[in-house]
Amino acid sequence: MDLAKLRQDAAALLADGRAGLVIGFRERAGACVPAFVTDADQADALVYDDTCIANLAAYLRKPEIRQRRPVALVARPHVMRSLILLKAEHQLQGDDVLVLAVGDDTYHGVLTLAEAERLLNETYADLATDAQVLAEIERLEQMSPEERARFWSEQFAKCTRCYACRAACPMCYCERCIVEKNVPQWISTAAAGHGNYAWNVIRAFHLAGRCIECGACEAACPQGIPLMLLNALLAREARDQFDARPGYDAEAEPVVGSWNKDDDEGFIR
Amino acid sequence: MTQTSTKPDAATGADAAAQPWSPRIVAFVCNWCTYAGADLAGTSRLQYAPNVRIIKLPCTGRIDPLFILKAFEQGADAVLVSGCHPGDCHYTAGNYHARRRWGLFRRLMEFTGIDAKRLFFSWVSAAEGQKFADLINAVTDEVRQAGPFDPTNPARKRPWT
Repeated sequence: MDLAKLRQDAAALLADGRAGLVIGFRERAGACVPAFVTDADQADALVYDDTCIANLAAYLRKPEIRQRRPVALVARPHVMRSLILLKAEHQLQGDDVLVLAVGDDTYHGVLTLAEAERLLNETYADLATDAQVLAEIERLEQMSPEERARFWSEQFAKCTRCYACRAACPMCYCERCIVEKNVPQWISTAAAGHGNYAWNVIRAFHLAGRCIECGACEAACPQGIPLMLLNALLAREARDQFDARPGYDAEAEPVVGSWNKDDDEGFIR
Repeated sequence: MTQTSTKPDAATGADAAAQPWSPRIVAFVCNWCTYAGADLAGTSRLQYAPNVRIIKLPCTGRIDPLFILKAFEQGADAVLVSGCHPGDCHYTAGNYHARRRWGLFRRLMEFTGIDAKRLFFSWVSAAEGQKFADLINAVTDEVRQAGPFDPTNPARKRPWT
């Protein structure tokens, strides 16, 4: 991948004022961490490799970031889908962001959101769910409900309710999350038992038909809860039942929030 | 979910726990169709199982999945969600929105260990008193077969240990 070109583009965007901020990655203590570059001469610190899995679109909701619009973002195809989806949900204007598009060992250059949408549909139209995740979902589906309940009971017991999954997700942009609403309190905030179950299930459900499976939530989870199993299951169902392809069309209607006369109702008596 | 007699009776040794188990079913129904259907069942003096607790909402579109989680959390053995037939919604499209939501949510429930046989969906119109009575009887029978909802299920509220 042409890292030199990426740095050069980032520096040029900042130098000629086309971007007020470049969000990318830099190295710290051998790990890839987000970098917020405001001066052209800092752009040489930018790096990119396969370990840079944070979804930088999650920062766009922050007011201090929004102040610096237009913001340029180092984005792999999944992150580009997040941006398109944010636009579809009216969280972004088309000219709020520029994309420093990276993908499959190539650097695609600086793209507008519309150009990123075209690139996605031409080159990355079939971003499949991770095969390991799919295999694990199938393994769980073979289990009895009691075994599955036990599996999730063990997983959710680990949750400390740090909400890193929420912070890492660009689609969790509610100013006040359901878990923080306490009149009435729908989800117990104690890091145990039914509250953990309700939180993890509702977090996944609020992303139904919206999750683009970037994996940032699971990577952010300090307890190693396999959140992508829940996300990928709902993504699969939204795709199979309602032809959902979130993040490929900036004009698309949301999957949950729209309807079709012919939706399946085989399960309704 | 209050029980009428929770105090152990010292004289007979009988307490609430000694009662044979009977399913507790929470039904979320819409105001305009299923609730009216239930009302018709009542005014028609149809007999049906007394195991269902009806919670009336304006529309099935108002039924947040959290309601269903809360019911299981608080000890329901099964949840029934029922509203107007497609095309009959008082608010034009609430039931269509709800149908799509349930199609996804019930999958998530099954996947996280709440058996599909504890989650029921139906359309009952204001004229279908008989259907409502039959539905409640059928659901109650099925839940009775399935047995009580596992108290160790992660969705259940448990006392602090």
